[in-house]
Amino acid sequence: MTVLPALEASGVVKTFGGTVALADAHLRVGKGTIHALLGGNGSGKSTLIKCLAGVYRADSGRIVVHGEERAAADQTPAVARRSGLHFVHQDLGLFPQLSIAENIALDRGYPTARVLGGVRWSRLEADTAALLERFEIAASPRTPVAALRPSQRSLVAIARALADAGDDAILMLDEPTATLAEHESQELLAALRKRANRGQTIVLVSHRFPEVQGVADDVTVFRDGRVAATDAMSEMPIDRLVAAMTGGAELPHPERTAVRAGSAERLRITGLHAGALRGVDLTLAAGEIVGLAGLGGSGRSSLLRTVFGRLPIRAGSMELDGAPYSPHSAAQAMALDVALVPEDRLGEAAFLDLSVRENTSITVLKRFWRRLAISPSAERSSAEALVAAFGIRTPGIETPLGSLSGGNQQKAILARWLQRAPKLLLLDEPSQGVDVVARSEISAHVVAAADAGAGVIVASSDLDELFALTHRIVVLRAGRIVADLTTSSTTRDEVAHLSMLDSEEGIPT
Amino acid sequence: MSQPVTSRRTPVAEWGERLGLPILLAVIVLFFSVFPASSRAFFSVANLTIVLANQSIIMLVAIALMFPLIAGHFDFSVGAMTVLAAVVCAGTNAQMGLPIAVSILLAIGVGLAVGLANGVLVARLGLNSFVSTLGAATLIGGLIQWYTAGQAIIGIDPALLQFGSRQWLGVPRVLFIVIVVGFAAWYILGHTPFGRSLYAIGSNPRSADLVGLPRMRYTLFAFAMSGLIAGIAGVALTARTGGANPDGGTFLLFPALAAVFLGATAIIPGRFNVVGTVIGVLFVAVSVSGLTLAGAQSWVDAVFNGAALIIAVFVSSVLRKRRAGS
Repeated sequence: MTVLPALEASGVVKTFGGTVALADAHLRVGKGTIHALLGGNGSGKSTLIKCLAGVYRADSGRIVVHGEERAAADQTPAVARRSGLHFVHQDLGLFPQLSIAENIALDRGYPTARVLGGVRWSRLEADTAALLERFEIAASPRTPVAALRPSQRSLVAIARALADAGDDAILMLDEPTATLAEHESQELLAALRKRANRGQTIVLVSHRFPEVQGVADDVTVFRDGRVAATDAMSEMPIDRLVAAMTGGAELPHPERTAVRAGSAERLRITGLHAGALRGVDLTLAAGEIVGLAGLGGSGRSSLLRTVFGRLPIRAGSMELDGAPYSPHSAAQAMALDVALVPEDRLGEAAFLDLSVRENTSITVLKRFWRRLAISPSAERSSAEALVAAFGIRTPGIETPLGSLSGGNQQKAILARWLQRAPKLLLLDEPSQGVDVVARSEISAHVVAAADAGAGVIVASSDLDELFALTHRIVVLRAGRIVADLTTSSTTRDEVAHLSMLDSEEGIPT
Repeated sequence: MSQPVTSRRTPVAEWGERLGLPILLAVIVLFFSVFPASSRAFFSVANLTIVLANQSIIMLVAIALMFPLIAGHFDFSVGAMTVLAAVVCAGTNAQMGLPIAVSILLAIGVGLAVGLANGVLVARLGLNSFVSTLGAATLIGGLIQWYTAGQAIIGIDPALLQFGSRQWLGVPRVLFIVIVVGFAAWYILGHTPFGRSLYAIGSNPRSADLVGLPRMRYTLFAFAMSGLIAGIAGVALTARTGGANPDGGTFLLFPALAAVFLGATAIIPGRFNVVGTVIGVLFVAVSVSGLTLAGAQSWVDAVFNGAALIIAVFVSSVLRKRRAGS
């Protein structure tokens, strides 16, 4: 099938400092088709979208929109818009308390009266009603956006992006279904399919396989900043997609001590319902490292947060070292030697304007108490020792954490918890935004903690990390455990398959 | 990820930054001491004693303000709480005839109670502290007007009056209260787990939750400390003025705010600290006193306070951002 290209990009390169985010990316989107961009975290798909949007300035490459060619480095948001590229980002940029009409007016401008410049509300509502009808959104212009269903909100954002666009506009959607429930996604995708059938060109960034398979005409898979595969969707069976995304090749497993036979059971979870979890059973031995694989929203973070006392338990029970365990706060979990390194380092772990010393000692302040006050010398020597032991590269312990690199910040956060010698260590995406060297250092400390007897649960969307670190991999999908695998006898393909397949489809065992 | 932004500054530059405000204070003292229009009156022992005694109330109010600010919240009611405590102290003693010791305890207790109420509103009920403490300040100002009917209260126990006007070892007696409270605040904020936790809560409340800090309770304590110290400041105010004047307390709040933010530019740059706060109060007071003696009009006071507040907030937020590496 040969379709005229609406959008072509070739040889797009983007580097940040010394890191290559995008190396020689190319993309060809046919007119009136839905083109899916797939890839894991850091694969480069988002970087390409941002280069096309003019948010990032590409180092080199060409962009052709409707036959009009320009250097990728010259792309700006204004140029992108003028040439017919319209973007809807994952954060829709809607104001929930305002009405649909007001949300659209904030983007397009309010129609105003010639005299006094007051807003012509009747005109605005009529325009908005016409727009809503054009996009088949069943809502009144006066409805507050907060009252809409999630898929309708996405459609309002799409309608707003395309309100003044011509027929040949290209719609670029960044993870539009990431925060939607299953049926909401279906509804949105059906609406997108309808628009494409009428000639709308759509580029769809996603990491959900099945839905992309159902709706896209073509697909381009990114891995490590490069295009791993690009073809018609019909030519891409799921095996080929998974192979393209994961690279197929197995990485060598680093040294990892086997769990001692007969190790005591550290944690037992039975029938747990909490957050996104819908009936989870899991056991963990002392010294064992268990990986949690699964897509965003599958319940990985919910599981860790529940064990750390941050989510209420709706049903089910937990046992820690054989005793009933139901923490209601982080403090209670910590009192039983449980530790959590959260996923969002900047938002939930770091005290950026406090020093490295203050950041590491915050979990053990009482240790430095000497009769009347915190002993500055005891605290300082403890911090110095941690900086040395964890290889935290910092000018000194009084340096604010915020001026360290991401990897060194993460090492300091890990040190904050490991100095407590936790019995149960919970890690949520421990190497996110961390360079390769720091990543292996972090892994080494986690393995050492397990060797010292800690039970470790690592949630990660990075299969390399899970395979390098864990004894067992547990795959979560839609709040349930769908597989419990021994790391040494499974493959990345199998784990990738299991986490992405719909539950209706057959599960290879 | 962003590149590390470790700007390696020389030790000289760092010490210059830490000691900038104290050095500036010394320069100003020196200037007004030799400047012909002000020198004679300015450098007299009498003038310095008066400046210190008058500023001791503002120092206390500023120290009270630090606790909620460190936890990330404003407390605009400190001035009003101080005046309320003064009214309670003077009113129960001079008008109701209670013993002065009981009046003092009542005044401090009222300050603590209002601070606790502020804490419940902000920490438990999640109200915005900026608005709720402004509301509390207005409400208290109204109650003070109602109770005093706009009249000053006079006739307190001479013992308290003497405490407020006399000196020990050449130092105004009220300044000893500042020394005790200041030392206690320095100790609590810098050398106890509670104080250290307050800085963490103010830095990132969500991270504080995830390292197991009792954020709500500590935030409530911070407001309670603010009320307690404001209560003590109210007693000191009664001792200084020999009674209580009906007022909303803004004459105390704004110099104290300016001092706390000025203090965050010195000693430990980018962070609220007790020593910096005390120097901040003196800086504003000495400058205004010198300008007044040099013949400036009374409006200089307000202009100087306002300008100092704006500049201090600007500089301390720049320092804070630089610390956070953004």
